Amino acid sequence: MADTVKITIDDIEYEVPAGMNLVDAAKLCGVDIPVFCYHPKLGYAGNCRMCLVELGTPRRNRETGEMELAWFPRLQTACTQTVVDGMSIRTRSEKVRDGRRIILELLLSSHPLDCPICDKGGECPLQNLTMEHGPETSRMYWEDKMHLGKHIPLGELIYLDQERCIHCARCIRFQRLVADDPVLGFDQRGRRQRIITSSTPPFDSIFSGNTTDICPVGALTTADFRFNARPWEMVQVATICSHTPEGSNMYFDTRPDREAGGRTTIKRVMPRQNEQVNEIWLSDKSRFVHHYMEHPDRLTRPLIRKGGKLVEATWEEALEEIARQLQAAEAEVAGIAGGRLSNEDFFAFQKLIRGQGSNNLAAYPARVAGAEFVAQVGVGVGTNFLDVGEGDAILVVASDLHEEAPIWWLRVKAAAERGATLIVLNGRETRLDKFATHRIRYAYGEEVATLNAMLGSLDDEHIQPEREVEGLEETLRHARGFEASPELAAAAKAFAGAENAILIVGGEGVGAETSHNLAQAASNLLIATGHVGRPNNGLIIVWGAANSQGAFDMGIHHRYGPGYQPVEQPGLDYAGIIAALKSNDLKALYIAGADPVFDDWLMEEALRATNAYIIVQDMFLTQTADLADVVLPTQSIAEKEGTYTSGERRVQRFYQAIEPIGESKADREIFLTLAQKLGHGEARTVAGLIFNQDIAGAVPQYAGITYQALARVEKQFPDVGGEDLYYGGTSYPNRHGLGVQWPVAAEDESAGLVVRPAEAGSRLTATDSALVVVPVTVLYDAEPVMQKTQLLRQRVPAPYAALNPADAARLGIEAGDMLEITSDGHAIRVMAVLDETAPRGAAIVPRRLQAQGAPLAAVVAPVVRLERIGA
Amino acid sequence: MALLDTRKEDIEHHLSKYPDKRSAIMPLLYIAQEEYGYITEEAMQEIAELLDVDITHVKGVVGFYGMYYDKPKGKYLLYICTDLPCALRGAEEFSQHVCEKLGIQPGETTPDGIFTVENVMCIGACHRAPVMQVNFHFHENMDEEKADQLIEDLRREVKATEPYRSE
Amino acid sequence: MAHILLRELDIPNIKDIDVYLAHEGYQGLRKAIAEHTPDEVIDIVKASGLRGRGGAGFPTGVKWGFVPKDVFPKYVAVNADESEPGTFKDRQLMENNPHQVLEGALICAYAIQAEAVYIYIRGEYWDIADWLDEAIEKARARGFIGENILGSGWSCEIYTHRGAGAYICGEETALLESLEGKRGHPRLRPPFPASVGLYGKPTVINNVETLANLPYILDKGAEAYRQFGTEGSPGTKIFCLSGHVNNPGNYELPFGGETTLRKLIFELGGGTRSGKPVKGILPAGASGAILPATDEVLDTPLDYESLRPFGSSLGSASLIILDESVNMAWAANKMIHFFSHESCGQCTPCREGTYWLRRLYERLERGEADLYDVETMKNIAAQMLGKSICALGDFATNPVLGTIQHFGEDYEAVLGGDGSGDASPDEKEAAATEAAAD
Ligand SMILES: Cc1cc2nc3c(=O)[nH]c(=O)nc-3n(C[C@H](O)[C@H](O)[C@H](O)COP(=O)(O)O)c2cc1C
Ligand code: SF4
Ligand code: FES
Repeated sequence: MADTVKITIDDIEYEVPAGMNLVDAAKLCGVDIPVFCYHPKLGYAGNCRMCLVELGTPRRNRETGEMELAWFPRLQTACTQTVVDGMSIRTRSEKVRDGRRIILELLLSSHPLDCPICDKGGECPLQNLTMEHGPETSRMYWEDKMHLGKHIPLGELIYLDQERCIHCARCIRFQRLVADDPVLGFDQRGRRQRIITSSTPPFDSIFSGNTTDICPVGALTTADFRFNARPWEMVQVATICSHTPEGSNMYFDTRPDREAGGRTTIKRVMPRQNEQVNEIWLSDKSRFVHHYMEHPDRLTRPLIRKGGKLVEATWEEALEEIARQLQAAEAEVAGIAGGRLSNEDFFAFQKLIRGQGSNNLAAYPARVAGAEFVAQVGVGVGTNFLDVGEGDAILVVASDLHEEAPIWWLRVKAAAERGATLIVLNGRETRLDKFATHRIRYAYGEEVATLNAMLGSLDDEHIQPEREVEGLEETLRHARGFEASPELAAAAKAFAGAENAILIVGGEGVGAETSHNLAQAASNLLIATGHVGRPNNGLIIVWGAANSQGAFDMGIHHRYGPGYQPVEQPGLDYAGIIAALKSNDLKALYIAGADPVFDDWLMEEALRATNAYIIVQDMFLTQTADLADVVLPTQSIAEKEGTYTSGERRVQRFYQAIEPIGESKADREIFLTLAQKLGHGEARTVAGLIFNQDIAGAVPQYAGITYQALARVEKQFPDVGGEDLYYGGTSYPNRHGLGVQWPVAAEDESAGLVVRPAEAGSRLTATDSALVVVPVTVLYDAEPVMQKTQLLRQRVPAPYAALNPADAARLGIEAGDMLEITSDGHAIRVMAVLDETAPRGAAIVPRRLQAQGAPLAAVVAPVVRLERIGA
Repeated sequence: MALLDTRKEDIEHHLSKYPDKRSAIMPLLYIAQEEYGYITEEAMQEIAELLDVDITHVKGVVGFYGMYYDKPKGKYLLYICTDLPCALRGAEEFSQHVCEKLGIQPGETTPDGIFTVENVMCIGACHRAPVMQVNFHFHENMDEEKADQLIEDLRREVKATEPYRSE
Repeated sequence: MAHILLRELDIPNIKDIDVYLAHEGYQGLRKAIAEHTPDEVIDIVKASGLRGRGGAGFPTGVKWGFVPKDVFPKYVAVNADESEPGTFKDRQLMENNPHQVLEGALICAYAIQAEAVYIYIRGEYWDIADWLDEAIEKARARGFIGENILGSGWSCEIYTHRGAGAYICGEETALLESLEGKRGHPRLRPPFPASVGLYGKPTVINNVETLANLPYILDKGAEAYRQFGTEGSPGTKIFCLSGHVNNPGNYELPFGGETTLRKLIFELGGGTRSGKPVKGILPAGASGAILPATDEVLDTPLDYESLRPFGSSLGSASLIILDESVNMAWAANKMIHFFSHESCGQCTPCREGTYWLRRLYERLERGEADLYDVETMKNIAAQMLGKSICALGDFATNPVLGTIQHFGEDYEAVLGGDGSGDASPDEKEAAATEAAAD
């Protein structure tokens, strides 16, 4: 436990952690010091002057040599103080109350007092603190007030009301300190001072929505929620972000809506505090993308192909037909499930397919692999990036974390700022480099070799496995065959020597095979350096979808069943399924919650060519669904309940927020109905029962976890936005569960650890006419859910390839040119963007900006200029 | 024409003065103002890039300081101090005279784009009031006659240096 | 008496480096380097009792003593922002005797072992900055600036940096922010610039006039310096005389003794131009509280402390003289206009308070205000006091509180209508109770 000090608040003595901010310490003691500009996640700025207290600090009397309390003659700002032993404050004296009253009166002297039409009304710190501490009337003449702009769009997402702004600078500080997008600032000075942004595009930050939460007044509001509903009319339904793998906790704020014919609709998404997951932050994608869930294009009824066309059918009809097809196919079926399904869905899905006697199961996207390594050496239970700092290390390889997992990016960056050693290995510069202690560039293709070389460079002193490791000798010998530059060796040493070390493996440029090997190499490095089996040590894989971890945990894999238990007869993996489709070795394919055709032209080719019966289950008529024989309408996360497992293996619950759209059903329900029809056994469709009984029984790692335990909450600190809206946040309190992390094998000290040489690929090299085409992930891509969300769609860039200007010059390419890149017989068209951060010889091509718009893994491919578009 | 094309030497000189290049923002803004008459959006962008800061920051700096202009102003910027010490010595009447002579209000620019008048806070010449600055150069112990003469002279100077055209 | 600071009055053309050198120029710096360690220089300055001339009067040597010895680099910032209404002394020092200022800055830099000096000069002193640059080049050519100064092994550069029209940048931490290329928002203290200053490094900030004293002190010694002025305020001070006097200008006089407002206004200033009696004196520009021109006030020997009993202070000694023709509510309006124009906008009391006060004064000017409004003004000003980040917020209360206290009748003279305005009886009663409370 940290040291404590004694402080006195209003004549009562308390013991609080040393080094704590005085406002936080008082809060811990149950004393609210009102604040506007101070925020525990942003530190102090001392500008609002609301937190004035009488302050006495211990000083040595020059004459007597005794310590005595010296009271400052003036009121002091509590937010700028750190507690010291013997400090004393008064928070309730006449003087303090006067101080608060005048500060509030001064703030209100410029305030428009338009609370009745303000989105923040009802959850506004200014309103609340005025009730509690403010003057009853204002002496300011109404007509003397400053008049400023009221509806200023800072971008498509955020609006500014300059009159309501109280200049606390929280938004500016958030953008600068937390998001590292310093695109907000003050302009002018004095009373004319105001918030501006001048970035292109405006308010250029993927975290912009957070500013509306921390704004202590209604100055910043979202385009999403403006004038939409009143906070007190809404019901908060706990949910989990279903788009990226961090497992961000959030709320759907819902309300019956007249425009929707009385249906309950989602009015807004708010962060739900979970200090171990997303703290109080959300990416804008998490916050704003929900509109697709209630989009009119949602599928409402099953569709069956008749006469070459998909026509509406009844559930009865569709399920009968599917059952008949599956029955006939017997074990010649395969299943592909996308990573937005819940654990219960996945469990039911594998039960259905395995019930057929088939292990042909693939999770989608299939390009990121290695979950079995996570099951061995994933980060220890209790891991929290907030606890990582000085003395610890984080290694990130093959990931642009800012795009792949924004919340992890925030937290890794913050850990680096607290002093953690940050090692970034990638083929190009990413937004994490700026915070890194070691930045290492490899040539694409050498991802695994680079990790191997790190391991190989370590001397005996740094090879410190904590227990018996099988295969260590051989693996080390293999690793020593890879050469490490001095920088890489230094990074390896720093990693090995760190108190705690986390290794994050991403999916940039790599495909399933390399990804698997990368996880092996990562696991080797962690085991050999003793960084496994403890909190804040171990492996995290940046999955391509929100619940990919859950998919693997539930056994959506051709080689292992639920709980990573090997199957006797391995089935086909994703690539194997494509091959079998083409050769007509499969009779039926079931694709649930995945749109592989959008990514993969080989899949399209296979689906067009095959005779197999194609079942697609989705929310929209995706490109994959378009090729199906039958399409089943399924539900979004808002319409059902269940659990997700985050990339840190935290199992978390989400709840039903709205009524199902049309006749859509939950994925699990469809699978289980079919399983029953096929005679695979009794169907239990209630999510909680599946979790508590089926999953607990089949997945050893989940055995100790109950649905109820997932809903458990405990007091979190800082207590942001409790009932009292203390720190002025909106809807942060988590009343619905903090989730439970499942333990990995290495956490059992008696469990053996295994390392194996990680097979390394070789460097990809550009030629005279061909470049190394590297697929990378971007947050704002053109996948269907983004397309259906007007607000975010505007930020999705046109498909492009980023080239190094030197390569462009060599190939006669100018910015704006239309390029054609051909690989594997498939051509894509993208616009040329010149970018110094693109390495020489490479073309960086974002995935999913258009259908089949990038190769699945890095390849060497000719890049040809088609036409000159630019001037 | 970018600033770096026309004023490279000056820019480099200012960059060399500080351990952190961001400190050069104020001198660079003055350079932009000298070059274009006011600080254009493009100049702000160029300075932001040169100094590796967000353009929002550059705008905020321009907006904070009174001597930077992000809109066109007259070729001659006339600062007339009307702060308390000068006001005690007739500065307000003096300012009024100059404005009437030019047919504009304080803060405005003559239609021909030659003069902008601003009533400013103390500029450190209280003992020689009324005082006026022309493009930041002092003209002290002014009176109405001297002001009239000065304005005539400046007008003539503009004519002599044609082809000056107003915005 | 020969001048210590305004030496050009005794030695024509001393701004020329050769003339300066012919008259003990750079002698103080030479002695400091040749005869003293940096710490000894600090001790000498402490012994001289020199106090900062920028307004606060803080002992200069003591301030230098706060600078940590083992942190590098260190900086000196010369405060040449001179923007206080009624102040024009630093300008004269830089215009007419730039080398004295440079020498003073170098002595300071040597004492704390700084590697660079930045002269933050207000933008409106455009030409003076150019002239300073020329003087810097001349001094460099003679080996006083640059590498290995006077063979000491210590190197130091001097640069000028122009402000751009923001009074707040005279406040030392706003000055540092501005120098770093930011908006001039004052910093929270602690930490103080002596330990965490420019670019987070130890920094001494001194006013131009403060530094101009140093060549004399180092050349002639602390004892010689102390022959001028008083025990508590040694040396001489430049008094900037402006407003309704016949001979406005800068006057250098020793602190205390015969230096009184009467002497300055009537002897040196030649009395009022109108011949009307003096009504009030602003001893510290717009920032200090106004003094009524009573005999007691006029005859008080001036030093840093002597105006305290009258509820005012000497500040930077910018004496604005107002004669009987002035309505003090008008003067207060001018000053509030100044402060609301110059408030940086960072902290609530100053940003909102100055704006609100300004609106109330505008009402007053339009003849729309009543007694209740005057009470409100007084109450807001009183409540603003001591709650802002920097002293500007406090300064802004002085014109209001001072003029209402001493010249309340001037307000009554401009109240509108029947003097009752449109405040409700309740509000008036509330205001009255509140007024009684403070
Ligand atoms: C609002 C404000 C404006 C100031 N303006 C000036 C100024 O223009 N020149 C100056 O030397 N000091 C000014 N000061 C005082 C400085 O903060 C600082 O005390 C001074 O430069 C220290 O130098 P000294 O110790 O030599 O006096 C100002 C202070 C405040 C609060
Ligand atoms: S007192 Fe005024 S000038 Fe000083 S920090 Fe506050 S707002 Fe800025
Ligand atoms: S000044 Fe302390 S909370 Fe704003």
